[in-house]
This record gives sequence, structure tokens and C-alpha cells, in this order.
Amino acid sequence: MLRYFARRLGQAAIIVAFVAVISFVLIHIAPGDPFSAVMDNPNVSEVVRQTLRAQYGLDKPLAEQFVRYIGAVAKGDLGWSFSHDRPVLEVLGSALPNTLLLMVIALVGSFALGILIALIQVAKRGTATDHALSGLTLFLFSMPDFWLAILALLAFTYWMPLFPVGGAVDPSMHEYMGLGARIVDRLRHLVLPALTLTVLAAGGVARYQRAALLDVLPADYIRTARLKGLTERQILRRHALRNALLPIISLIGLSFPALLTGAFFIEKIFAWPGMGLAVVSAISSRDYPLVVGGVIIGSIMVTLGSLLADLLYAWADPRLRGH
Amino acid sequence: MPGRIRGSVATSVALPRESAFAVGLRRVLAKPSSRAALVILLVVVLAGLLAPLVAPYDPAAQPDIVALKSLPPSFTHPFGTDPYSRDVLSRVIYGARLSLTIGFLATLVSLTLGVAYGAISGYAGGLVDGIMMRVLDAFLAIPRLLLLLGILVAWPQISIGALILFLGVTGWFGLSRIVRGQVLALKHAEFVTAAQALGASRRRILVRHLLPNLMSPIVVAATLGVAHVIVLEAGLSYLGIGVPEPLASWGSIIRDGSDQIAALWWMSLFPGLFMVLTVMTLNILGEALRDAYDRR
Repeated sequence: MLRYFARRLGQAAIIVAFVAVISFVLIHIAPGDPFSAVMDNPNVSEVVRQTLRAQYGLDKPLAEQFVRYIGAVAKGDLGWSFSHDRPVLEVLGSALPNTLLLMVIALVGSFALGILIALIQVAKRGTATDHALSGLTLFLFSMPDFWLAILALLAFTYWMPLFPVGGAVDPSMHEYMGLGARIVDRLRHLVLPALTLTVLAAGGVARYQRAALLDVLPADYIRTARLKGLTERQILRRHALRNALLPIISLIGLSFPALLTGAFFIEKIFAWPGMGLAVVSAISSRDYPLVVGGVIIGSIMVTLGSLLADLLYAWADPRLRGH
Repeated sequence: MPGRIRGSVATSVALPRESAFAVGLRRVLAKPSSRAALVILLVVVLAGLLAPLVAPYDPAAQPDIVALKSLPPSFTHPFGTDPYSRDVLSRVIYGARLSLTIGFLATLVSLTLGVAYGAISGYAGGLVDGIMMRVLDAFLAIPRLLLLLGILVAWPQISIGALILFLGVTGWFGLSRIVRGQVLALKHAEFVTAAQALGASRRRILVRHLLPNLMSPIVVAATLGVAHVIVLEAGLSYLGIGVPEPLASWGSIIRDGSDQIAALWWMSLFPGLFMVLTVMTLNILGEALRDAYDRR
């Protein structure tokens, strides 16, 4: 188990190193550099530009720039965000907890909801309920994240104003609230973004879990359970679900990219102050280091997520525990 | 897979030879849900193809920017008009044309790259395969949307061709892993050994003997891939770094109405509904194709 862990950690480190290389390539295939006239103020003279380039090491040979860049990333230096006028790592680091909060809620919520839907479907397989739920999960699965977020915003803040329009707290009143009121204020702001991401992710989980459950139903131990006279409900919950949960653990690792991407759109639409909002806002201000920093941090999150899922899998599967 | 090879030998004696691909296709069309999906998809594709005939107005025309702007849905404008007085229905129909074209072409790019990379990696084996797969792991670790943001933010106004290229270049990683697995499994199959014994070159073996056996995963990946690209392109256009400005794609129409979502709800609702409908049909067909080929 420990050796497996060490090997997987090594693989994850290699992946992150490759991601840093890819991000260096991303930066250098972009036309011009941060100090060329297209990107910057055209009133700055060419001499000043050259000085700036020398200052930032952009006149060095590409190989040297590459080594410096990788060294900097390894030390956690992701560059300077010029729209925030702060280091990129600081901007993203302060926004990260908000994104993680959304993602964790959505991860737990969507798996609970998805598994529940799948259980109902399999218990009533072949009936109209099953088909209707299949249609619903396909609809959710096919839906672009930003569209559902827009519809949720439209429905629950304008047409039925149950929740605040956006942000993490009330912009003017939060400072003056007591502790209890502050918590309520935070929760009220959290509900809509978290719920939207949960519902979006639940569609895929339900489809996956339904297939996994149907896969184990023909197994011998299910037939044995049935012959023992267990009710269909007991069979599903105690025998089928337990065995069909194993493939769902690998889905946890696979669902991180979609959750992160979903969080990006949802944060933009609900003005939720997370990493996604920071990166998406950096697009319009052409804050290139911040966007590339977001790519690196996002990839590290995905890599760690799949590492976590693999370890969980190795722990949950008794056949793998010995290794 | 091995079953198919045995099957074709057995049936070639008595029955006319039918490819595994055709068998799968017939299985798919036997399902009512996939037949319905196919019909709806064809309607959307036809509407896109015949956009100039179907659309009631010119999608770029701004007949009266004062009197006809931001009108709610009515008989003359079933999907309303946008803040530039353009007819939203016509823009949605032209959007179908653009979004589908981008989806198909970008997927074509992904398929080419994914099949080539996966086939080479699987067939070469050894160190080459090891390195190629580690590189693939790194690409798979970067969420596709983030990778695209990283690329597209550098180009302020991008042409449709470049957008298609980037969407294609970022979409082949998953497929190439599947293709590699298939090639690895088939590399030592008897028909490959036979071809080698007959003196066929590596290239000929790859193109003539292995590739036809990869058809089913490719078709599945293509169908689901188009759906994915449509959603991605819409997302990018919604963020303002996708389709260039005056053009109408489903995502950019939603973007045009996004600063006044409450006042211009029809601009978010209708293009989105069309998009979800199209993506759903593609997902239904893709999953049905996968079920048909995976049935062991």
C-alpha cells in the first residue's frame, strides 16, 4: 500500500512537471511578449521596452528562460498578476478556499443525489419512472454549466427572489451583522451556486451508477441473495450497491475536471469570489500570468483529486489492500 | 473484439459479409430513442444547412435599433429581438449552422490526431510508448476548458479556423488512449501476424489491418466529441473568447443577452434550449453506439 502510494505520488509529480512545461509553451506561442506594442501602451518608447525586457529576462535565450521558469514554478512563484498588482499565487491562493468549498459540497451532494436517483431507477427498472429519470439525467448531463446557472439566477433571484443575486456576502450590510446573521448571510449566498453545481454533476453520477448497478445484478451472489428470500430492497442496498460502489470511486477522480470547469462558470455567473471568477475576469483584462497560473493550479487540483480517488479505491477494494 | 474476428470467418461461408460497423448501426436504429434522436438531429442539421431559406430574417440585419430593439417574443419575432434589433430566431438558426460546423470540424481534427498518436504509441511499444503515454497523462490532467483559456487569452480576436483548430487540438487525449489500448490488444492477433508473414509494411498493417478494427471506438468518440465541442464552444463564446463578435453561435447569442439576463430572458432561454436538444440527441446516439459495440 505504501509502495503503491509512493509510486502514484511520483507519477503525480511527473504530471505536474509536464504541466509546467506545457504552460511555458502556452506562454511562448502567444504572439509578442508582455512588452510589445500590441499588448501594452503604444506610447512607451522602444528603448524603454528593451530595458523592461532585459529586466524581466525576456532577452535571454529560450533555453535559459525555460530553466528559470520551471525553477520559479517549482518554488511556487507563478509570476505577477498585473490586473491585481499582486503575485499570482496570492490572488489564486486567497480565492481557492471559496472554490474548494463549492467543489466539495457539489462532490458530496452530487454523489448522494446521483446514487439515490440510480437506486430508484434500478428498483423500478423498465418502468415509466426509470425512463423519466433517465431523460432527466441525460438532460442534466447534456446541459452547458453556464446555461443552467443563468436559468437558476433568472428563476430564483429575479422571478422568485428567494436568494441574493451574487457574491459570497451582502456587500454593504455584512460588516454590521452579528455572528448569527453573518452565518445566515453566508449560507444564503452559498445555496444557489452550490446547488447548481451539485445538480449539474448529479446527472453524470446517476447515469454511471445506474449502469454499474445493472452490471452487478446478473452476478451469482445476487441470485443467491434472491434465493435466500431477501426482499428486492435488501438485495439492492446490501448486495448490489456495495459492489457497484467500487466503480463509482474511480468516477470521483474523473469528475474533478468537470467540477472545476463547472465551478468556473458558476463563479462567474453568481459573482462567487473563487479561483474561477479571478481567472475568468483576468481574460478580459488580458492578465496572462493569472490565466496561466490558473491552468497550473487547476491541473494540480485535478491531479491530486485523481490521486486521492486512486488511494480511496485501493483502500476500499479488499483485493488491492495487500499490495 | 476476438469474437468479431471469429464471427466474420464463420459467417463468410453462408451469409453475405456484414461489417461489425453495420451490425452495430442496425442495433442502434432498432431502439426507438435513438431513432427519435436521429430525426431531431437531422432537423437541426437541415435547419442549419438551409439557414438562408429557413430563417425569417437576416441574422445580422438591424432594421430599427430604436423601435425594434429588445422586443419580447411575439408572432413576428417568435424568440424576440436582441439589443441591436436583430431577430433572435434567425440568429439561433444561423447559430445551429456555425455551432454544428465547428463541432464537426474540430472533432475531425481531434480524431485524426487521437488515432495517429494512439496507433503509433500502441504499435511502437516499449520506451516510445512509455514516453508518449506520460505526455498524454499530463495533457489529460489539464481540464480542457482551462487549456483553451490559456491558449485563447493570448489571441484577442481569433478567426473561426483557428478556433476550430484549437478546439480540435485540445480534444484528442482520451480517444488516443482508447486507440492505443485497442492496438495493443490487436497487435499480436493472428491476422496481423499473417500480414507480417506476407511481408506487409508497418504502415500498411496499421492503415489496412488495424485501423478498420478501430472503427467502433472512433465512431463513438466522434459522436460524443461533437456534443462536447458544441458545449465547449458555447462556453468560450459566452466568456467572449470564442466565435468572433458579429457572428451568431448559440453561446455568443446568450452572451449578447447576459448583461441584462432578467430583462432579456428570451436571449438565454431559446438558444440554450436548442443547444441542449442537439447535445442530448448526440449523447443518446453516442451512448447507443457504445452499447451496441460493447455488447460482448
